[in-house]
Amino acid sequence: MVGLSIGEKLFIQSGIAQDLRCDGRRRLTYRPLYVETGVIPQANGSARVRMGETDVIATVKAELGKPSPSQPDKGKVFIHVDCSSTAAPMFEGRGGEEFSSELSVALQRCLLGSNSGAGAGIDRASLCIAEGKICWDLYVDGLVVGSDGNVLDALGAAIKAALSNTGLPRVHVTVAAPDGEQPEVDVSDEEFLQFDTSGIPVIVTLTKVGRHYIVDATTEEESQMSSAISISINKKGHICGLTKRGGTGLDPSVILDMISVAKYVGEQFMNRLDSEIAAAEASEAE
Amino acid sequence: MRGIQLSLNQTQKLRLQRALDKLDSLSSKRNSNASVTVADTIPVNHEDGVLKGHGTTELGGQVVATLCGVVERVNKLVYVRSLRSRYKPETGDIIVGRVVEVAQKRWRIDINANQDAVLMLSSMNMPDRIQRRRTAIDELNMRNIFEENDVICAEVRNLQHDGTLQLQARSEKYGKLDRGQLLKVPCYLVKRRKQHFHQLDQYGVNLVLGCNGYIWVGELNEAKDIMMVDQPINAQPNSTNEGQANTPAEIRQNICRIANSIRVLATLGFNITMEVIEEIFNLSRSLDFVVHDMLGAEFCVLVAEREAERRSSSTKRKG
Repeated sequence: MVGLSIGEKLFIQSGIAQDLRCDGRRRLTYRPLYVETGVIPQANGSARVRMGETDVIATVKAELGKPSPSQPDKGKVFIHVDCSSTAAPMFEGRGGEEFSSELSVALQRCLLGSNSGAGAGIDRASLCIAEGKICWDLYVDGLVVGSDGNVLDALGAAIKAALSNTGLPRVHVTVAAPDGEQPEVDVSDEEFLQFDTSGIPVIVTLTKVGRHYIVDATTEEESQMSSAISISINKKGHICGLTKRGGTGLDPSVILDMISVAKYVGEQFMNRLDSEIAAAEASEAE
Repeated sequence: MRGIQLSLNQTQKLRLQRALDKLDSLSSKRNSNASVTVADTIPVNHEDGVLKGHGTTELGGQVVATLCGVVERVNKLVYVRSLRSRYKPETGDIIVGRVVEVAQKRWRIDINANQDAVLMLSSMNMPDRIQRRRTAIDELNMRNIFEENDVICAEVRNLQHDGTLQLQARSEKYGKLDRGQLLKVPCYLVKRRKQHFHQLDQYGVNLVLGCNGYIWVGELNEAKDIMMVDQPINAQPNSTNEGQANTPAEIRQNICRIANSIRVLATLGFNITMEVIEEIFNLSRSLDFVVHDMLGAEFCVLVAEREAERRSSSTKRKG
């Protein structure tokens, strides 16, 4: 990461305090969002999201699998993130692995809920085909192509867009088998079911610099942060997950305040993202 | 032109395409057959002994280009000049760079080129403004002048035989740049001009267009602290007055507006000069664009259209 001189750091911090950041944004304004869907035709669903220089691609691949014994009526979702070495100089070689695993864990926490499956953003019950026998396994992969701050939010948006672009083939159970054996299935090539994404949350990261919070921080602004909280919020305004980064501790009242700010910002971002996804799918259909 | 990444709706796409086509038609297409890509043969008269310069190679008796660019001929020398490349320094260029390392009797500066540049201690004015030999004490106090990660502007002194670039900062206008932001644009958009320092008094902004693609937009310091000898050596940055450290809101607005004008020009790939920056600045103010909206699709399209108009009117005036 390129360093900043003392004058530049002061400029960034006082800008945030005065509600006018380096590129003219206010504290709670996002950068222009650019969404493209269907970028990877081999995958069941894919999307590319750009926010300034931050560029991420998310793909969804679906395979038939057996549900886990503890949750026989739910499908499985695996999320994994990879940081390309070209995204930032510090990702060269194996430098991006720590950041990738941090992002993967944060996404899992925000979208998949706890280990027992309670409070998940993604509805896994819709992935079940035959209870206890067959379910859909979704492999969600994220690739960070360009990194300029706020990668987690971009990945959350890309996963939401990729899932709304995902078409799962219709599966007919042809031969019902007795317990313990796998039934035969017929996977349709023509009919596709669109994955329902109205319940999928969006991730909002609030970065605390000095005494103020900003949304959608660039790399320079992130270098000045004391701590950051990433909150995933769904359409109903419910919190699906919470992650904290940064070395400085936060007072509980500050966290509650940040949550309420995130709810307000998340609602607007969700609407904007939905309209961008709809526009992207419309232009892809042309 | 590389694809411009903005979410444009249909009308905006059409308008942008029309403006860019108009600019294309206005650009002088002299010697369009002189442009070559890699592995193109360069037509050359073999009877006159021809000197093969940069970007060419001999392949099977033919002179073949190894770069994408324009063929230039000077007497017997034939070379290929690439249009987009890393910064190629020339003596006298004004450069904005960031200090990477404080080494023995020199500072290493990152200037967005193939190699880091070097600023010798002897090429820098001492704080006490006396012309003297640099002593060991001066070498130990180098950090009081420039530290790591400081942004400075300097001039290219010479290019050494092994490719190292030497800078000099012996004038008042060179030195550390404080309180502002550094922008990075492709270096071929900043052409060499007479003036690279622009002090906009009416806006309170100091603008330095570095030939290497680094552009500094910052606050204008009216009172420059020249006598630094009396300052303590371990000056903590937090001890400077808080009130003095905050940029006034008006000036900050202007800084951000000018920075966004430069960003828009870089996105569209237009040459960055003072006139164009000022025009875009005034355009955004007259149309009451909020500073942040200047990076949106609508303003980009407006800038492209305005530039096409400006160039067509200037060619009409000339021709």
